Amino acid sequence: MARIELTGIQKRWGAIWGVRDVNIDIADEEFIVFLGPSGCGKTTTMRMIAGLEDPSEGEIRMDGELMNGIDARDRDVAMVFQGYALYPNMSIYENIRFPLRMRGVDKAEHDTLVRRAADLVELSDYLDRKPGALSGGQRQRAALARAIVRQPQVFLMDEPLSNLDAKLRQAMRVQIKHIQRQLRITTVYVTHDQIEAMTLADRIVIMQAGLIQQIGTPDEIYNDPANTFVAGFIGSPPMNLVEGDLQDGRFTAPGIDIAGLTLPRNGKVTLGIRPEDCTVGGHSTQLKGDVYGVEPTGDITYLTIKAGEKLIEVKADRSYRSELGVPETVAFDPARIYLFDSETGQRLR
Amino acid sequence: MASQRKNSRGESLLLRYAILGAWALFCLAPVLWFLSIGLRPRTEIITPQPIYWPSFSLDAWHMIWEDWPMAKYLRNSVAAIFGSVIIDLVLAIPAAYSLARYTYRGRDDIGFYILSTRMMAPAIVAIPIFFLFRNVGLLDTVWALMLVYAAINLSFVTWIIRSYMLDIPKELEDAARTDGAGDLRILWEIIIPAILPGIITASVIAMIFAINEFLFTLLIASTPKAYTMSVALANFTGGSDGLIYNAIALVAFLAFVPVFLVVVAIQKHLSRGLTMGAVKG
Ligand SMILES: Nc1ncnc2c1ncn2[C@@H]1O[C@H](COP(=O)(O)OP(=O)(O)OP(=O)(O)O)[C@@H](O)[C@H]1O
Ligand SMILES: [Mg+2]
Repeated sequence: MARIELTGIQKRWGAIWGVRDVNIDIADEEFIVFLGPSGCGKTTTMRMIAGLEDPSEGEIRMDGELMNGIDARDRDVAMVFQGYALYPNMSIYENIRFPLRMRGVDKAEHDTLVRRAADLVELSDYLDRKPGALSGGQRQRAALARAIVRQPQVFLMDEPLSNLDAKLRQAMRVQIKHIQRQLRITTVYVTHDQIEAMTLADRIVIMQAGLIQQIGTPDEIYNDPANTFVAGFIGSPPMNLVEGDLQDGRFTAPGIDIAGLTLPRNGKVTLGIRPEDCTVGGHSTQLKGDVYGVEPTGDITYLTIKAGEKLIEVKADRSYRSELGVPETVAFDPARIYLFDSETGQRLR
Repeated sequence: MASQRKNSRGESLLLRYAILGAWALFCLAPVLWFLSIGLRPRTEIITPQPIYWPSFSLDAWHMIWEDWPMAKYLRNSVAAIFGSVIIDLVLAIPAAYSLARYTYRGRDDIGFYILSTRMMAPAIVAIPIFFLFRNVGLLDTVWALMLVYAAINLSFVTWIIRSYMLDIPKELEDAARTDGAGDLRILWEIIIPAILPGIITASVIAMIFAINEFLFTLLIASTPKAYTMSVALANFTGGSDGLIYNAIALVAFLAFVPVFLVVVAIQKHLSRGLTMGAVKG
């Protein structure tokens, strides 16, 4: 069980930046999820925590102890690698057992532990096979089993479920969360999947281009985005962002006219509104546009409206249907409107 | 339509077998010829008339085992060759691992130096090597042959193994390290099993080179005490009895058989290994 502090972490290879500036204080037993676009430095950060990469600048501490320069094998972490990294010449059983052997776990316990881990990831029938004879999803689960077979100080999981189908992914998500809560092991988890992030995380770290954009609970990230990047990254479909003009509490953009905003500021701003905070129809004058696309999905209908040149995504009632090109109006929940500085992207409050 | 296609596939299969068969005959003919010379009486071999129904004789077979210490030559060969390959592997695997994995100053120079030992004609170092072994008292011993063969082959064995190691994803070692394995463990449990085809390929090629090595063997083995098959073979060509073709042929055949058996036994690994090595530089 460990608290992990990253202070002023940078990583670069010559002129290439992997991570520019990362500061996080991960509490003991916390479940932290890294979320961000490809190449933003998630894996690099994780490898530095694991001790596979030394930071160019900054300090890594575990339980207050400085970890810089300490070899990976001397840090008590278990990692699921993005590329699985299963040992090709060993059976799945031996793969899962490997960390037990290396860490000197009592031999008598190996079999029970291996079988339990394999059971959790639903891989019990494949223990005799070599990794080469498994599908991508099975390999990924084998990699997961190898990480959870023992009780380390820290779990590091780099997109451990990315290759699974929706159903299995959901089942594994529940297992991971359960194991983490039961063993109370500090966990750092990387994913591209927002649902995974939202459901698993105590706190989410949003990264972009080697920088942390925001750290917060899933609620904070969703309800209180710090900037347009976070706002546009979270939610599906993500928040609508419209550039316009704010004058005396009135926001205008082509097709959009919203009064009663309480920001004491005039000039160019970006307005943000989530698709789920919009109401279609009625006599609203806030947004007037034409129906551009209608996508019924069963439990909800996604509606795209063209206002000026801008496409606005709206979640409509599941029974909503419309012809394309028909004029439509949308009302916004005034309490759920966000304003951002158009220049810096920072939230205006 | 379907049957027509099947037919044409049958024809192409036939053609393929014909070509392969012809090629096999071409390659095997000298071997079979040797064998046939070796198993016929001496008189029959030197007669100028063509012989259509050769007679069979084990004269040469008895001769090479009874009149000459062929068993000893064979033992020398096997000891020197296997010994040299083991020395090579023990040295080359760690060296290759270091060249493939670690970055340190002069790494590329060391790599080039290792390769450069193959770039000059062996005769250039023949005399220094002769004096070297004479001074340490190893002349005319199997040990010296072992060391020389090992030295000759070390560079390319290292190089082949290194190129296989480069193919192993770094993440694999990272995983082993996070799982708690140290360098030697990783080498022994992860790397070596993963590059086994490469190790086998390198060993077989080293063996073939060692079997065919002649210059240094002749230099070092000055008496039958350290003679190997290749040198013994050369010594048969002279003597008071004149050229004993059938015995020579049989010895040559015997020198060929062990390599052949090794190659057949590990053929699967070898073909995979050679192609893999070919793709990598
Ligand atoms: N060994 C390396 N040498 C040079 N650059 C590297 C190295 N490893 C990573 N990078 C660079 O660092 C940046 C961050 O890489 P990283 O693997 O951390 O991204 P990521 O967030 O995990 O992306 P993904 O979601 O695609 O896995 C990338 O631009 C990458 O090209
Ligand atoms: Mg990554």
